[in-house]
Amino acid sequence: MQETVLLPLIVALPLLGFVLLGLWGRRIGEPAAGWLASFLVLGSFLLGFWLLLQGGAKWTLAEWLPGIPFSLRLDNLSGVMLMVVSGVGFLIHLWAIGYMHGDAGYSRFFSYFNLFIAAMLVLVLGDSLPVVFIGWEGVGLASYLLIGFWYTERVNADSARKAFIVNRIGDLGFLLAMGLLWSMFGTLSISELVEKVEAGGYSFTTLSLAGFFLLIGAIGKSAQVPLMVWLPDAMAGPTPVSALIHAATMVTAGVYLLVRHAFILHGDAFLAGSIVALGLLTAFYGALCSLGQWDIKRIVAYTTLSQLGFMFVAVGVGAYWVAIFHIVTHAFFKALMFMTSGSVIHALGGEQDVRQMGGMRKHLPITHRHGLVAALASGGLPPLAGFWSKDAILAYTFEYGPWLWALMLLASALAALYSIRWYVLVFLGEYRGKAHPHESPPVMLWPNHILMGGALGVGFIGLPYVIDYKNFLEPFLSKAIGEFPHEKLPVWTEWTLIIVSALVAIGVLLWGFRFFQQPLPQWYARFQQAALNGFYVDMLYNTLLVNPLKALAELLFSADRGLLGGFAGLGSLMGGLGGLLARLEAGALRLYLLGFLLALVLLLLWGVLR
Amino acid sequence: MSVGFWEMVVLFLLVLSGLAVVRLQNAVHAALALIANFLLVAGVYVALEARFVAMIQIIVYAGAIVVLFLFVIMLLSAANANVGLDLLPRLPWAAALGALGLAGVLVYGLIRYQPAANPPALGGGLPQALGPLLYDPEKWLFALLAVGFLLLVATVAAVVLVEPERILAATTHPAHPSQKEEKVEVGP
Amino acid sequence: MIWLLASALLFSLGAYGVLTRRTAILVFLSIELMLNAAALALVSLARLTGSLDAQVVVLFIIAMAAAEVAVGLGLIVAIFRRRETTNIDELRQLRW
Repeated sequence: MQETVLLPLIVALPLLGFVLLGLWGRRIGEPAAGWLASFLVLGSFLLGFWLLLQGGAKWTLAEWLPGIPFSLRLDNLSGVMLMVVSGVGFLIHLWAIGYMHGDAGYSRFFSYFNLFIAAMLVLVLGDSLPVVFIGWEGVGLASYLLIGFWYTERVNADSARKAFIVNRIGDLGFLLAMGLLWSMFGTLSISELVEKVEAGGYSFTTLSLAGFFLLIGAIGKSAQVPLMVWLPDAMAGPTPVSALIHAATMVTAGVYLLVRHAFILHGDAFLAGSIVALGLLTAFYGALCSLGQWDIKRIVAYTTLSQLGFMFVAVGVGAYWVAIFHIVTHAFFKALMFMTSGSVIHALGGEQDVRQMGGMRKHLPITHRHGLVAALASGGLPPLAGFWSKDAILAYTFEYGPWLWALMLLASALAALYSIRWYVLVFLGEYRGKAHPHESPPVMLWPNHILMGGALGVGFIGLPYVIDYKNFLEPFLSKAIGEFPHEKLPVWTEWTLIIVSALVAIGVLLWGFRFFQQPLPQWYARFQQAALNGFYVDMLYNTLLVNPLKALAELLFSADRGLLGGFAGLGSLMGGLGGLLARLEAGALRLYLLGFLLALVLLLLWGVLR
Repeated sequence: MSVGFWEMVVLFLLVLSGLAVVRLQNAVHAALALIANFLLVAGVYVALEARFVAMIQIIVYAGAIVVLFLFVIMLLSAANANVGLDLLPRLPWAAALGALGLAGVLVYGLIRYQPAANPPALGGGLPQALGPLLYDPEKWLFALLAVGFLLLVATVAAVVLVEPERILAATTHPAHPSQKEEKVEVGP
Repeated sequence: MIWLLASALLFSLGAYGVLTRRTAILVFLSIELMLNAAALALVSLARLTGSLDAQVVVLFIIAMAAAEVAVGLGLIVAIFRRRETTNIDELRQLRW
């Protein structure tokens, strides 16, 4: 691992784009602004890839804060994340060149987008927790700016605020974790923390508490139950934002954070149990909600929730490399799913309601191919990307407990169901709307071609051991995460699990394919009504938390108003006095002189009597 | 504190001329009373061993400055002190009270003042004694230069204040205004 | 000592004049009286302490008074040209 200044350059490139486009974006104009932003991200990708091939890199600015260096570190784990963030990020940038065409805020969009990439890279590469936190808040800020990108509509601005405020709860957890770790070990550098945790000599309960606070942080960023309410509303932003930030990269930051701190989590039954429980809840909640949505982007948003739940379960059962594996495959197929949805929205002139879609197979043949691959990969059809990562998670859950495996199998069956529902509603049947669909321009098709390739093939870097005894990803990541040995399942069990999950996926996909093309039965409509409203969680939060707090705020505000009124009265009293005094100053010079004389006499008197 | 007869007379005349300066209604008379006051003060200076200062008092103060006053009074035809608006007709009472208070405070301070028993003689305050002090770099030389510069600035300022338009015109078109103006129009 | 008394009285008289006079020139004249009273105080103190420095300062006061009168009278003449008056009660720009 070498010390090199090229590492901060990876972050600096998109940051440069942010500054350039932020200051002179209007002058650079369309489409140059989009291309500039895209190629800066590509530059980050290539530089990061080259450094990763060199065996990683690190860079330190000593004494950035008293006792805390500013350190970046590119190891295999952050390297994989870097590839995902900048690689998928580059493709989405390209796609956005077409999608954002003609928008009044074109260059502003790309400047925010570059800011996001820069912040995300800081988050991923940071070796010191405060540095990670800068990235953590930076992506939150970029997310806020981009959700509220079309800020002239109140709904969008409100959604942006909601995302920001809910994320604050998670950030508080992160801060508490940092403070606790600092007080325990006197350092916040992750690589030093690893050594100190290994060395021992501290209270395990306190460390467990620190891990719990980190978990709260991760929950906020990764939209797990109970802080998941912001993610569906975050779809108010432009579709590329949903694809990049709220599907492929930022929401996986929580998972990444947990994997980075696997050395804290590992072997702690309570933490593991909480993570598994939260992940499981989220997986089911997201899947069930997704089945009831009509807005195409909300459908995909809830599927993201469910997939994030899968990642959390993976972390909880100790399958850290699998969680990252799923982040990678998910980045491909979910970005593809979002961008396909975006292409459809684009083709229909902004229509987002799936009831006004359908029949896109005939109208948009190329996009249809992308959508089909995305749905099948997301649904877990072998041998597409989603199948392998999901199967790896299932295998680990079986080690944790067969009951968990059964529940996760059910969750993945639901995942297959929502994927196929999305596909059927958008692409099959007859077109139900009134617009004139047109296929997307090449600048939007080519990124999707590449992502489609990824969704088809990226699963092969992490095959189960019964097929590929030493796959690429597991040893590669373990170098950075740490070796956590586990007993491999017997060969026949592993094969049974693979075949069962494949059969379930194929079966559910086929069943859903038929089910959603027929008129829906009564019970499904009732279920759909509840799911459409996210099972009334928002309403519950409003009743239990938001409204009481609002009432309290109103109360305090009226008290404030009384107090401020008093002060304002005091102020106007003083103002009146001043006005009275000002009337003395009417320009009569000799009166002023009399004042001089009086003051002189008094001063002399004081001097003489002293 | 023993006070001689002539000292009393001079004190009386000083106050009388001062009163005349502030009370006489004809400005020319007031200015003349000020000259009288200055000449009396010059006499007092001689008695206080300050002969050079006394000469300067007569030449500069009584001679030049007050004559300048007289000149301006006549130039502006401002001999009558009682023209125009009076915003504060009852101010003189307050002014008298204030002046009395001031005098009272000063006199009270004076009573408590204990001078040194036998001060050294000043040698009559002749230029031979003052000159070395004035031109001593460690004493007053710098102040002397500063005052000289102040006088220069004041001279220029007085001229500029009274004739601003003509001076400005002269600085922008130094030689022959009419001819220059015709040439200027040729330029871009 | 008696000349210090004379100085105090002249100074107070000057102050009275400054307040009661309404013509700018006469106000200025009263100020000269006050300045002269200060000079008188300095000369008497020079005699009482036996130091020539105070007399040097009086020389400076006289020189400075000359400069002040030149500028002050110039101001008065300039104001008179604009406003046709030197009555300070009619010159009321110095206000809120």
